[in-house]
Amino acid sequence: MKKRRSDIQTRANPSTGQALLARRLTRRDFVKAGGAFALTAATFPTILSSCLGGGTSGGSKTLKILQWSHFVPAYDKWFDPWVKAWGQSKGVTVTVDHITYDQIPIRTAAEINAGSGHDLILWIVPPSQYEPSLVDMGDVVKQVEQKYGPQLDFAKLTNFNPHTNRYFGFTYSFAPDPGDYRKSLFAQAGMSDGPTTWNDMLSAVTQIKSKSKGAVRGGIGFSPEPDSNMAARALIWSYGGSEQDKDSNVTINSDAVVQAVDFMARLFKQAETSEVFSWNAASNNQGLVAGSLSYILNSISAYRTAQASKPDVAKDIFFAKPLSGPGPKALASEHVIQTYVIPKFSKSQDTAKEFLLYLADHASDFVYQSKLYEFPVNPTTNAQDKLYGSGGWLDSDPYQSDPVTKLQVLKDATTWSVNVGYPGPASPAIGEIFDKNILPSMMAAAAKGDKTPKQAVADAETQIKAIFANWRQKGLVGGTT
Amino acid sequence: MSEPVAHRTVVFDESPRVHHLLDRENVLGPVMLAPLLVYLVALVGVPLVLVFVYAFSDASTGSPTYSFVGLSTFQRTIADETFRTALRNTIVFTILSQVVVIVLATILGFVMTANFRGKWIVRFLVLLPWTTPIALSALAWLWMLDSLFSPFNWILGQLHVVAEGTPVAWLGENTLAVGSVVALQAWRTMPLAAVILMAGLTSIPPELNEQAAIDGAGFWRRLFDITFPLLTPIMMVAILFGIVATFTDMAAVYILTHGGPGDATQVLASWSFYTGIESGSLADGAAIGVFMFPVLLGVCLLMLRRARRAEVL
Repeated sequence: MKKRRSDIQTRANPSTGQALLARRLTRRDFVKAGGAFALTAATFPTILSSCLGGGTSGGSKTLKILQWSHFVPAYDKWFDPWVKAWGQSKGVTVTVDHITYDQIPIRTAAEINAGSGHDLILWIVPPSQYEPSLVDMGDVVKQVEQKYGPQLDFAKLTNFNPHTNRYFGFTYSFAPDPGDYRKSLFAQAGMSDGPTTWNDMLSAVTQIKSKSKGAVRGGIGFSPEPDSNMAARALIWSYGGSEQDKDSNVTINSDAVVQAVDFMARLFKQAETSEVFSWNAASNNQGLVAGSLSYILNSISAYRTAQASKPDVAKDIFFAKPLSGPGPKALASEHVIQTYVIPKFSKSQDTAKEFLLYLADHASDFVYQSKLYEFPVNPTTNAQDKLYGSGGWLDSDPYQSDPVTKLQVLKDATTWSVNVGYPGPASPAIGEIFDKNILPSMMAAAAKGDKTPKQAVADAETQIKAIFANWRQKGLVGGTT
Repeated sequence: MSEPVAHRTVVFDESPRVHHLLDRENVLGPVMLAPLLVYLVALVGVPLVLVFVYAFSDASTGSPTYSFVGLSTFQRTIADETFRTALRNTIVFTILSQVVVIVLATILGFVMTANFRGKWIVRFLVLLPWTTPIALSALAWLWMLDSLFSPFNWILGQLHVVAEGTPVAWLGENTLAVGSVVALQAWRTMPLAAVILMAGLTSIPPELNEQAAIDGAGFWRRLFDITFPLLTPIMMVAILFGIVATFTDMAAVYILTHGGPGDATQVLASWSFYTGIESGSLADGAAIGVFMFPVLLGVCLLMLRRARRAEVL
């Protein structure tokens, strides 16, 4: 009988390699095998997902968390097993995925639009643009407030949209953003306790740059990155200006802001170099630790890094409260503000909320494990006395600061920290202004001499007003002008 | 004791109809092409359609619903100063990088077609940037151009070209930042152009140059009167590929400068990303992306025309 071309004949045990090599693979076999493989590959995830079910795994509950890789790596080492242990006690299978902070917006956009992904996503800035796709967290916030007091004003302005009357996130901690300065260098400029005003700082960093022949410079950035955004806002507030008022009307074009921009231009010309236009979020930390910068605005994470890698430099790093300007009050932006959101697609919303309540109950743990990087935003948590109390962690740093009182300057951080968008609330418009780095670019244009301070502010106003108008049309931002 | 191994014949129970169909070229061809078509439709066609749909809407990344708003996104986009900067930069960066690429790739093409010892090492090194993902290579460039840790600055310091402690801000000065982005784009697209031009050079019959040499034509005369005219069609292909790769790329700017200093290196792809994805204004981001379409369409038509002409020849 004549064999068909597609018959597979083996002349030995088919399991041997020789037999496999001896097989004739016809074009039709290839197409069939390829088709079978493609079909399997395409359907396997679906089958697996169907077997596991959404929100449950083999009958047990699941909780998938996405969060940024913490600037204090020790925090992640503590958090992951801690949350998994909580899950075990509750019969919940917990997975935690860490990505860099700048990937969080991209991943969130992808998951929201795909309608699947993580049950909890942790942001370090207010993710207000996602409000229509996020679960209202008002119940969680209220339960936590009943136990631990009302959220600090800037925290409420971060996770609550007064225009829609919804909590689109749950803010539980923030990191203060003090000035970090090299004490020995500032002592040479007659300010061993650090600067208290912007003019003091300008005077000192100018002297230090001059004495060091440019080797040690000022460290306020003008770059498209978060720290430069924070610095621009701190300066504007200290001059009495702001992006918006408390009712979300645009107020950027004011004499106060023009003066602030003029100051930044002078700061650049007298005490900095063009490097400040090219920084990323880590650059000022690296410059301070490397000994190239005398003053930066940052959280204590740069200092914690130096404690491990350059103890001699760390010993010389001290902290200053927000600098005063001509405005009524010296303010600083929160450096990060930890806000969890739950996408509406999550099938584990109740489990996610249960975990957030558990997290709020353990404020002293996240404060301590973050090496005092994070501070709670409710005033009567179990961290309150341990952190702020007499003889507490800020009086005597458990992470071996020298002197141990070095972090005392942060004891009143809740009185001088405000949210991005202050005095108004966080909103998608404020978020877009931040993400597009409009304020650092405005400062940079004046500093480089491309525009006068007045022109730079006017151009920024044009961009900002267009952004506000766009989001107002979507019903997510209040105000009229 | 193991069982004796029997000779076995496995026969698939196939219907003659399927058997017959799979042996026909006009059936098998489309079957084999189907995965590619599915890929192109799903990952290129659908997103392209969505870009146009979003560009005429008020879509945002955070909202599952949207409505059509006509041309308002385009009006907003054109009025935006940064968009106009990004549009200009995209064109300038593409032209500058492709000029650099064509000059250097032509030289490399000659080098790679010449006979010398170690030619394979040269070819390997030339191709290396092409095999490196853009994100990785941009990170390497970022380190090399870092204001604090740049090895270029260290070398310049050692040579006393710059004073210690006053580093060159490669990414902080407008001109240097633009130069850095152009250099990265040229570096990463040059290998493909070099390989294309090498193929073009090897396809030129050597008799033409030999005959010209016998007739007394020198190197430059042969270069401009024989080699370049014959190389021009293939050079166009290299340029077109380079334009597409550079015009649509955002990784170089995103990793190297984030569009800075100020907005000096912002390009359409990066500004579209910052607007549409990072800021959540999906419609505005899509509208910015749409401005790339006419250029890319023109380039694609040129490429197809050239490919068809080559087929005819």
